[in-house]
Amino acid sequence: MRFLLAACLALAGLLGAARADVAIPPLAARVTDLTGTLSAQQKSELESRLAAFEAKRGSQIAVLLLPTTKPEEIEQFSIRLAEAWKVGRKGVDDGVVVVVAKDDRRVRIEVGYGLEGVIPDAVAKRVIEERITPRFREGDYFGGIRDGVDQLVRLAEGEKLPAPAARASPRESDPVASLFDYAVPALFFIVIAGGVLKLVLGRFLGSVATGALLGLAAFLLFNMIAAAVAAVMGFLFTFANTGAGRGGGWSSSGGSSSSGSFGGGGGSFGGGGASGRW
Amino acid sequence: MRRLFLAVVAVLTLSSCGYNDFQRLDEGVKAAWSEVINNYQRRADLIPNLVATVQGAADFEKSTLVELTNARASVSSIKATPELVNDPDAFAKFQAAQSQMTSALSRLLAVAENYPTLTATREFGELRAELAGAENRITVARGRYIKAVEAYNVLARQFPSNLTAMVFGYQAKANFTVENEKAIAAPPKVDFSKPAAK
Repeated sequence: MRFLLAACLALAGLLGAARADVAIPPLAARVTDLTGTLSAQQKSELESRLAAFEAKRGSQIAVLLLPTTKPEEIEQFSIRLAEAWKVGRKGVDDGVVVVVAKDDRRVRIEVGYGLEGVIPDAVAKRVIEERITPRFREGDYFGGIRDGVDQLVRLAEGEKLPAPAARASPRESDPVASLFDYAVPALFFIVIAGGVLKLVLGRFLGSVATGALLGLAAFLLFNMIAAAVAAVMGFLFTFANTGAGRGGGWSSSGGSSSSGSFGGGGGSFGGGGASGRW
Repeated sequence: MRRLFLAVVAVLTLSSCGYNDFQRLDEGVKAAWSEVINNYQRRADLIPNLVATVQGAADFEKSTLVELTNARASVSSIKATPELVNDPDAFAKFQAAQSQMTSALSRLLAVAENYPTLTATREFGELRAELAGAENRITVARGRYIKAVEAYNVLARQFPSNLTAMVFGYQAKANFTVENEKAIAAPPKVDFSKPAAK
């Protein structure tokens, strides 16, 4: 019985492993090497080149070496990776990711929207064919990546990009911000309508009515929970509002997080770039 | 009676009337669809260059060129507007025309392999890279569109937001079908037994 269970689990594990897509590695550094091909010195040389480029131009280039992207094609994997890593500045979308699938013998340059002008697909293909794959065929992975990256840097320097910001850490988008959008109209409603209703119905009933109206609006726009919250808040604020001052300021604060040594700037990708094999 | 009331409250609490969600997702679908049309247009714009380059090659097989030119004509005849997402028949016609172009293109590229003097030219190499890029962009845009439409359609069908949908007249939007994919996913046969043209 236990043997059967173990066999089933093992089979399930095998099947799962066979069909699962390759996990996206976390973005911790500009050069991520999951194959152990590059030495520490080579990695740091590439890192410093890319960091200097980012400091100078603001645009970000990242490199990933991994054994294989199967069962996905390298194009499918690269766009998934680019969407997760979000290399490049938000809005400017000036990121480039170079993916090397060593055992598959495939390489891809994924270009962000903002750099598609200076690195169109044909040019990316030429970078691969002229700089990267010749070296890869000789087994010189570091040389191929270095030459490819140098060429990409040279190309990207031709693009008119906004100047790099003074080391601003990427702002996280506040998920609660959308709720705060409704705070100001709600506040106006509480003060104005609440005041009128209190005059007409008296303090307690007026507050109840204001709360109920706010709750109804929230129910139509959102759901029961929001309605309940809005009704209660509406009641309390109207009840507590003795007319003169505005009740407390609503401040929506965006969270800004510093993300260690290297993090994506929020750039987006559209599938541009080129792939090659060696 | 009380249990029924509680059950109704539970259902309504857990889901949403979602009028705002409809607006947001509808805009998302429109944006994703514009991206899809853009990328299809990008591919279509590469065709005249390709045809001109290939025609220059000595006695290139005419039938594939004609097929591609016809496919492009039929694609241009369909007005690709944002309203296509709401009309399943027009959407299906659009998808069929684009699939036809995809097959014509892949056939042409396969035939071109028989003409090494053509494929070796820089022009052709660039065009091939641009076409591959355009196809990849189309794939990415379609994937994003499918996700956007999925989110919208789920909301339009789930209770109780389907009530909101009925009140405001929101219907499920058209999506890409998978059936055609099987036919065009089959790679064109490259026949090396025929002697290459000089």
